[in-house]
Amino acid sequence: MTEQAMRPQFMGARVKRVEDPRLLTGQARYLDDIDVPGMLEVAFVRSPYPSARITGMDLNAVKSAPGVRAVLTFDDCPILLWQKDTYQVGQPVLAHNEVRYVGEPVVAVVAEDRYQAEDAAELAVVHYESMEPVLDMEQSIAELPRRVHADASNVFYHKEYTTQGFAEAFAQASHHLTATFRTTRQTAVTMEPRGTAAMPDPASGRMTVYASTQSPHRIRGDLAELLGWPENQIRVIVPEVGGGFGMKANTYPEDVVVVWAARHLGKPVKWVSDRTESLLSDVHARDDIHEVEVAYQEDGRIIAIRDHLMADGGAYPAYPFSGAVGETSLASRVLTGPYQIPFIETVIDCTYSNKTPLGAYRGVWGPIASFVQEGIVDRVARSLGQDPAEVRRINMIRPDQFPFRNAAGMIYDAGSYGESMEEALRLIGYKDFRDRQSVLRAQGRYRGIGISVFVEPTAMASSEAGSVGYESVFIRVEPTGKVTAAMGLGPTGQGHETTMAQLIADQVGVNLEDVVILHGDTDSAPFGGGTGGSRSGPIGGGAALVAGREMRQRLVKLASHLLEAAEEDIELGHGQAWVAGVPDRAITIRQLAEIAYTHVKRIPPGMPIGLELVARYQPQQSVSFSNGTHIAEVEVDPVTGLVQVLNYVVVNDCGRLINPLIVEGQIHGGVAQGIGSAFLESLQYGSDGQLLTTSLSDYLLPEATDVPRITTKHLVTPSAGEGGIKGMGEGSLIGAPAALVGAVSDALAPFHVMVDRLPVTPDDVIEWVTSRV
Amino acid sequence: MKPAAFEYRRVTTVTEAVKLLRDAPDAKVIAGGQSLVPLMNFRLTRPSLLVDVNGIKALQHVVWDGTFLRIGSLVRHQQIADNVEIQKHCPVLTVAAKHIGHWAIRNRGTMGGSLAHADPASEWPAAAVALNAEIEVEGPQGVRMVPASEFYLGYYSTVLQPDELIVQIRIPSLKFRLGFAEMARRRGDFALAGAYVEDDGNGQGFVTWFGVADKPVRVPTVLPGNLEARREAWQQALGTLPIVDDKRSRIHLAVQIAERAWQHSQLEGAKYLSEEAIAGGDQPL
Repeated sequence: MTEQAMRPQFMGARVKRVEDPRLLTGQARYLDDIDVPGMLEVAFVRSPYPSARITGMDLNAVKSAPGVRAVLTFDDCPILLWQKDTYQVGQPVLAHNEVRYVGEPVVAVVAEDRYQAEDAAELAVVHYESMEPVLDMEQSIAELPRRVHADASNVFYHKEYTTQGFAEAFAQASHHLTATFRTTRQTAVTMEPRGTAAMPDPASGRMTVYASTQSPHRIRGDLAELLGWPENQIRVIVPEVGGGFGMKANTYPEDVVVVWAARHLGKPVKWVSDRTESLLSDVHARDDIHEVEVAYQEDGRIIAIRDHLMADGGAYPAYPFSGAVGETSLASRVLTGPYQIPFIETVIDCTYSNKTPLGAYRGVWGPIASFVQEGIVDRVARSLGQDPAEVRRINMIRPDQFPFRNAAGMIYDAGSYGESMEEALRLIGYKDFRDRQSVLRAQGRYRGIGISVFVEPTAMASSEAGSVGYESVFIRVEPTGKVTAAMGLGPTGQGHETTMAQLIADQVGVNLEDVVILHGDTDSAPFGGGTGGSRSGPIGGGAALVAGREMRQRLVKLASHLLEAAEEDIELGHGQAWVAGVPDRAITIRQLAEIAYTHVKRIPPGMPIGLELVARYQPQQSVSFSNGTHIAEVEVDPVTGLVQVLNYVVVNDCGRLINPLIVEGQIHGGVAQGIGSAFLESLQYGSDGQLLTTSLSDYLLPEATDVPRITTKHLVTPSAGEGGIKGMGEGSLIGAPAALVGAVSDALAPFHVMVDRLPVTPDDVIEWVTSRV
Repeated sequence: MKPAAFEYRRVTTVTEAVKLLRDAPDAKVIAGGQSLVPLMNFRLTRPSLLVDVNGIKALQHVVWDGTFLRIGSLVRHQQIADNVEIQKHCPVLTVAAKHIGHWAIRNRGTMGGSLAHADPASEWPAAAVALNAEIEVEGPQGVRMVPASEFYLGYYSTVLQPDELIVQIRIPSLKFRLGFAEMARRRGDFALAGAYVEDDGNGQGFVTWFGVADKPVRVPTVLPGNLEARREAWQQALGTLPIVDDKRSRIHLAVQIAERAWQHSQLEGAKYLSEEAIAGGDQPL
């Protein structure tokens, strides 16, 4: 620990991303850029019904259409994504006898190019017998109007938890309130859609799979398992990935069909999702209802929360995890956020419906729980006529309470909860805000401030990246002294080639440009969980530090032998090793490497030949909490219902920073997505079960003009883990929606508005304002 | 999301275009392609032939002839936003142009394409109606002038025949103040509601909404000085239209947008003020 902190040059520096030149000049190579002679392309015939029996198919016209090489149904490719043990149902990779959501793959058409594949797919005749769809979560819990899967209860996950002493504490509190919070289905909408390409190698018999995924080793394992092939017969290569956000942490039906087709046709086969397919078939997220009862005291102290958490998991559990379970189970454990609310009682129900399966989207449970938690605090404040910041102060976990065990038994490591809020209040000018607000209100203008103090569990032992609680780094100092490291992470834009190189360069004592980070190839990367759940920084970065340190020890040992000095007197940096205080007694890392690989007789006894090693790192704590505060100032136009974000402050604490530039980029992106969650994004199903938002003119994303300038400040409460690093990939999207809609509630307080839904649309505002004057 | 197969021909004269359109009744004209190409990619439209008119030099003019402002059908939205003659003779078009999509869309999309596509939420069809413009179309029988008020039939539907091509729009000189306002969820989106309001200075005028009914209609209205009375007038004018849906917010917005357009017309002083002078109307989100 002391050694790694020695003279860090690159860790903590605002280093420009090494990835950016290729990304910004259009030189990056994405999945759809993979093209080899003879490659076939797939188009899927998807279900137009939310719920129907398949009574027959006529595919003769498809098979004889120009360019068609194969037409596949479940009978050809009879694979279920889940063995039926965990959830009693498994999605067939192509629909089997029944369809259960609009967009479910039914037939795969493999043709010489995508145009021909789509032309042929149109000719497919599938006979459906429509059935009444299950669309309402609360109805679904009561098995109404029917079961989605005849052999399985609609409630596929049920869990209850109560803090001891809850009932008495709840009853004894002097004040009570109830509220229902709803979030609306969203999806990640990555700029690069999903895609898979598979190429059989006739020489070796192996299959190379190009996948746009966050977890190269996980998808290799899944494919091996589902297809029944030895996993060393599959090589997964992940090219540049244009965004994942949790949505690319799954293995999807299309992945399996493409690989299966490549094997059985003996040809390279590719499928790339188009935008409509993305909106229909990428995992959805955030379809939750929280029915909440709160007990609190006259002074603003919140005593107890009871919450019935419901999530609509869609037609099948996504593979290999259900987003509904992820969103609810973790929300139930962190529902009290940064507040010392001593009692909680939660009931979770996750249900099946005839909608697209629910998976992960950045923050997963977090944006929902923060929205509920901050909504509770704001309601308490308003009911008591207290300042919302003051009620937060009263309930905030104090610095002397860490490590803090919350009402659901989660252990929080140290954070800067109160400090982050006070700093954010200062930066937004809260002291004067109430005066400004009342002056403007008198002019008929409605401004509001929303405060969101969030906690972000990171570096968890299990996450959407699977139950791999560690990461691995293979590191090699090349014979010329350059450094190559390979990792099992799956970056989708986070800049790992920069941050991991920063960490390794410091340890090995070389310059940043001398380090190359490899990832995304299961043939060269050591086994790892991949990227997701804000784990790459703390766990992957931790592994990079450990690997770098072990390599450093090897170099020091070798230098000490060659320079005839004690190991503790050897210093390493700028590409060379020298004896402390005697800079002339030096040897370059290049010379050390030459000896290690070539003049191996000069290596001291007991040291291995070469400079290569694999290191793994698993944090001792099962979770490390980042924290921070978002404050939004908005103006709501009561005439048009439009909300303008005027001012936005983020005070963020993710422990020690590897690269503030990258951390701030993550924050900006998360706030932008938070604006989408709060005001724009909504996957809407019609009452007939059709998804109505199947293009980006219907599913509205935030644009550059919608995102304000963001003031960012960092606080540093190091974790106990390697480097003091905490994760931070999700916190900005966890904190943002609550701050934004909280500001709307505050702005519209004269109309007695308390926002109870995400997103808030102009129609909602107009409805509230015109009905409550 | 690939279009069905189609033939493609690029032409350099209107005559050539019309001949191709006559011979292939399900052909489509492509100019900027900003609406047509997405529709083709969704396979919602599948023309057997695309007639590319981008090479017709005769459709690219902007001329003030002393009586009429004449804008060729191939003039791009961004060219309208930037054109000095238009700014001078019909400044409301300059303001409205900036609400069309984004820069990239405005660089490709054309006046003629927008007029012909007849999206009831778009800016140009309503502008043509509000401005009492005439739309000049050419077909196998020659040229005819159609008043904009008679051009639109309903959603995406016009009197334009499959073998006819819009040549230009002819806008008479402005007699009265004309204001514009539009509200969209995000900058550049199709309008949730928009309006052009003409005020004759004597308490009478016209309002032409877009995004509110199935086609633009120039509705005569009284324009009293009193705000409440004016709201009443907007409500009355709306009552004459088939509103696209019964959402309370739609009616509410239409009234508010008409009011903002009217305020815009009043603020123009000598001739016209920049839209930045008008609060609200097109704030992001």
